[in-house]
Amino acid sequence: MFSELFRRFTGQKASKDAAKKRLQFSLIYDKLEVNDTTLTNLQKDIVGVISNYFEIDKDSLELKVKRDDDVSALVFNTPILQVKRKRA
Amino acid sequence: MEGKVIVVTSGKGGVGKTTATSSIGAALALEGKRVAIVDMDIGLRNLDVVMGLENRIVFNIVDVVHGRCKISQAAIRDRRIKNLFLIPASQSDNKDVLTTSGVERVANDLRKEFDYVIMDSPAGIEKGFENSIVGANEALVVCTPDVSAVRDADRVIGLLYSRSLEPKLIVNRIEPARVERGEMLSHEDVLEVLSIDLAGLVPMDEHVLISSNTGTPLVLQNDSIAGQAFKRIARRLNGEVDLPIQVPNNNNSMWRKISKTFGFNK
Repeated sequence: MFSELFRRFTGQKASKDAAKKRLQFSLIYDKLEVNDTTLTNLQKDIVGVISNYFEIDKDSLELKVKRDDDVSALVFNTPILQVKRKRA
Repeated sequence: MEGKVIVVTSGKGGVGKTTATSSIGAALALEGKRVAIVDMDIGLRNLDVVMGLENRIVFNIVDVVHGRCKISQAAIRDRRIKNLFLIPASQSDNKDVLTTSGVERVANDLRKEFDYVIMDSPAGIEKGFENSIVGANEALVVCTPDVSAVRDADRVIGLLYSRSLEPKLIVNRIEPARVERGEMLSHEDVLEVLSIDLAGLVPMDEHVLISSNTGTPLVLQNDSIAGQAFKRIARRLNGEVDLPIQVPNNNNSMWRKISKTFGFNK
C-alpha cells in the first residue's frame, strides 16, 4: 500500500504493468502471426494518414490492445491539436 | 457411474504441475473419492519421488497401455491416504512409445475403476501432451505470474479449446507482497490477459519444497498455505462449485500489522 502511494507520487511505473502490456501484445502477435515491425509500420502509416488532415501530438499517441471474450481490438489513441487548413 | 479424467497441463515446465497434480489428487482422495494419478511424462518421471512412492514401482503406464500388466498391478497404493493410487511413468522409454489410441483406451478403462483419474502432462505441446489430453473430460492449466508461463498457458489453452476441452486456470506461486508492490502480475492481470475461468489461486509456500524432499503429501500438512489452497481447488472440482476462491494475502505486510495493532482489520 505504501509502495503504491510512493509510486503514485514519484510517477514510477510498476514493472507488472509493463509485463501485462507486453503479454497482451505478444499474444496478439502470436495469434495473428504478425511481428513487431508490422505493427510499428502500421502505427507509422496511421500517423501519416491522420497527419494529412489533423495536427496531432505525436509524443502522446497510444496503441492499446483491448481484449473481450471473443474479439481483440487494437485501439489507437491520439489527441488532435487542431485541424489542418487546406492550402489553397 | 464412470469417473472423470482430468488433465493437468501448462506448456511451460517448472510451474508446479507435478505439485498441483499430486496435491489435488491427494485432496480428492481425502474427500473420500477413489483417485488414480497418472504420470504421463514418459522418460522423465517425477510424480513417484514427489509422492514418496519411488521404491514401490513394479509396472508403469507404458506396461499398461501395451497390455503387459493389468491396471491393478501398475497402480501403487498410497499407504498414508486411503483410495489414492499412482500409476508411474516409464523411465527408460521415450514419449513416442505410446499411441493416442492406446492411451485413450486405458483412460476409458481407468474411468470405470476410479472416481477421478488425474493425468500429469509433460511440459511442451508435442506427443506427450497429445497423449495426456486424449482421454480427458476436463482440463486444468497451471501457470505462474510471469510472462513466459502466461504466454505458454495461452498457447495451451488454445490447443485445449480446439479439442473441445474448456480448461480452468490455477495461478501458482503467487507472492502477495510482490503483487502489492507492483512487481508481480496479480491474478486479475493474468485472467484479463488469458480470459479464462479460474480454478484457484495458490500462494508461494516453502512447504512445497520441504514436503517434496521427504516425499510426504503437502495436503496432510495443515500449516501449508499451498496445501490448503489445493484442498480448496479439489473441493471445488468435487462439486462444491460455490466454495469461494481465496486470494492469497500478505499477512506480514507492515501496513497490515499496523492496522491490526490499531484494531481496524480489513
